[in-house]
Amino acid sequence: MTAYLVSMATFVGFFMLLALALNLQWGMTGMVNFGIAGFYALGAYTSALLSVKLGLPLWLAMPAGAVAGLLAGTLVALLSIRLSGDFLAIVTLGFGEFVRLVALNEDWLTEGPRGLKIDARPFADVFSRESYPLVYLGLVAAAVALAFLVAERIRRAPLGRTLRAIREDAVVAEVLGKNVLLHRITVFAIGAAFMGAAGALYAHYVQNISPQVFMPMVAIFIWMSVIVGGPGNNWGLMLGAGLVMAILEGTRFLGDVIDWLDAEKLSAIRVILIGILLIVIIRLRPRGVMPEPRFRYRGSRAAADGSSVNDVTGRGDTT
Amino acid sequence: MTAQLLVNGLVNAALIAPPAIALSLLFSVLRFPNFAIGGYITAGAFLAYAANAGAGLPLWGAALVAMAGTSLLVWLSDEIVFKPLRGQDPVTLLVVSIALTLIIEHVVRLIYSADVRGFDLPLQRPHRFAGIRITEEQLELLALAAAIAALTHLLLRYTRTGRAVRATADNPVLAEVRGVPTRRIVTAVWVYSGALFGLTGVLAGLDLVIEPLLGWNLTIPIFAAAILGGIGSPYGAMLGAVLVGIAEELTVLVLPSTYKVGVGFFIIAVLLLVRPHGLLGQPEIRK
Repeated sequence: MTAYLVSMATFVGFFMLLALALNLQWGMTGMVNFGIAGFYALGAYTSALLSVKLGLPLWLAMPAGAVAGLLAGTLVALLSIRLSGDFLAIVTLGFGEFVRLVALNEDWLTEGPRGLKIDARPFADVFSRESYPLVYLGLVAAAVALAFLVAERIRRAPLGRTLRAIREDAVVAEVLGKNVLLHRITVFAIGAAFMGAAGALYAHYVQNISPQVFMPMVAIFIWMSVIVGGPGNNWGLMLGAGLVMAILEGTRFLGDVIDWLDAEKLSAIRVILIGILLIVIIRLRPRGVMPEPRFRYRGSRAAADGSSVNDVTGRGDTT
Repeated sequence: MTAQLLVNGLVNAALIAPPAIALSLLFSVLRFPNFAIGGYITAGAFLAYAANAGAGLPLWGAALVAMAGTSLLVWLSDEIVFKPLRGQDPVTLLVVSIALTLIIEHVVRLIYSADVRGFDLPLQRPHRFAGIRITEEQLELLALAAAIAALTHLLLRYTRTGRAVRATADNPVLAEVRGVPTRRIVTAVWVYSGALFGLTGVLAGLDLVIEPLLGWNLTIPIFAAAILGGIGSPYGAMLGAVLVGIAEELTVLVLPSTYKVGVGFFIIAVLLLVRPHGLLGQPEIRK
């Protein structure tokens, strides 16, 4: 049972990393990303292939996963020169599906649907086999903590105010002299790097990755985490990620109670449940369980640094 | 070889044209990209399957059942899910529509599992003209798509409701002020689109196979066609469908066919960069 809980906690960690990234991109800056699975897969495959095919040590391979996310994120964010909102959603979704297609079809490289087996694990020879899962959980927790600190730092910094201004009205931010494109690219790339890092951590944890894991569905789980928690709020999404995992895993036990439910039916029910819950939450609590703290106008100080647009508070009821 | 690919491309276009028209119509009055179309199409295919293989109706009867059933489902999805969220940010509605498509797809999975199915039909030998193979069903598909394009054109251009739909798409507030019952018009667009999605499900089930991911796999080419033509413009959607349909088939000449799905995305990405309002759309005026 402890082993099960430790592994669940590790998976929640991956979700949290992805959710923190999405919150940077969408919650704070208003850039939609439905290609989460693509950046996650890119990080996973980069790190895995570098260590399996080229024999690179993990301290090089795993950060390379994050760098791959960073580069891809920069390229995708360049599209935001022309696109906003819903159309960026379609393009990022396309990016995610493209990565999955490559992983599926180029099996000389990725082993395709059979899955890529990865032997290398970080610190595997330092710790005993019994304590290893806990060590890995610690590693993931450290990564989450680091990502959280970076995200919180950005949120509180003048940069964070600029980002919220861009989210509320990019034209106003532009008029105030902010380089909207540069800010968007920076934030999107940082978020994508988080996703790549999450992918690398995931790959060396499960030690077998295949394209089926990186379905667009992953994006919905992460969106759910951020929306439930409260977009723009880094604490809320941690709660959201935990809740999504609780639903995904909790429904597993339904099979023990109701015997006509086989694994396939259960997984269908799980997705239906997540979908309904997402819609209900958007209906009833559009700002999430923990709404973003309202930005307060603090007189001369905020006005002096110029990044506080007249009203950065009202996101209205839109998420 | 190339002539055969062109014919295949046209058949492909005929399959995505009606839903692209429907998607464009929906977008024009609701102003958000509705990803639930994948779920609607899958629902249409399985409704027809249930009526055909289950209840033993002939295919044309099953198609009518599917169109009526999908219309009802689409209308209900508006009443229950989208109506209370009217006026929300398009991204919120987009997330909701993706959630909805997942719900529909998995309800289908729950009932029918992920097995691949087909309609209960006798096998037919394809016709041959000058070395080009085309089946009876593909000919019917082409004729149907042309008929739907023409019907949509006539409805939009010459009927009172069609005029009201165009007015609502143009400027909902002004239309409302001028006495257009915009709420009823929006409902009419949902119902009409629903029938087209249901029909697409049937046609896709004929041309491809019936499985829960049927609609999702068509979603991207449909979006590509609608965006290529200028989303919100039903005529653009017809043109976009032809271009995307042929482009998808012709890439087989240079790329492995497994990447066919990628073509739609590629078209979308390039197009949104160079001409975001599409071929026939109006550039959006930014305030």
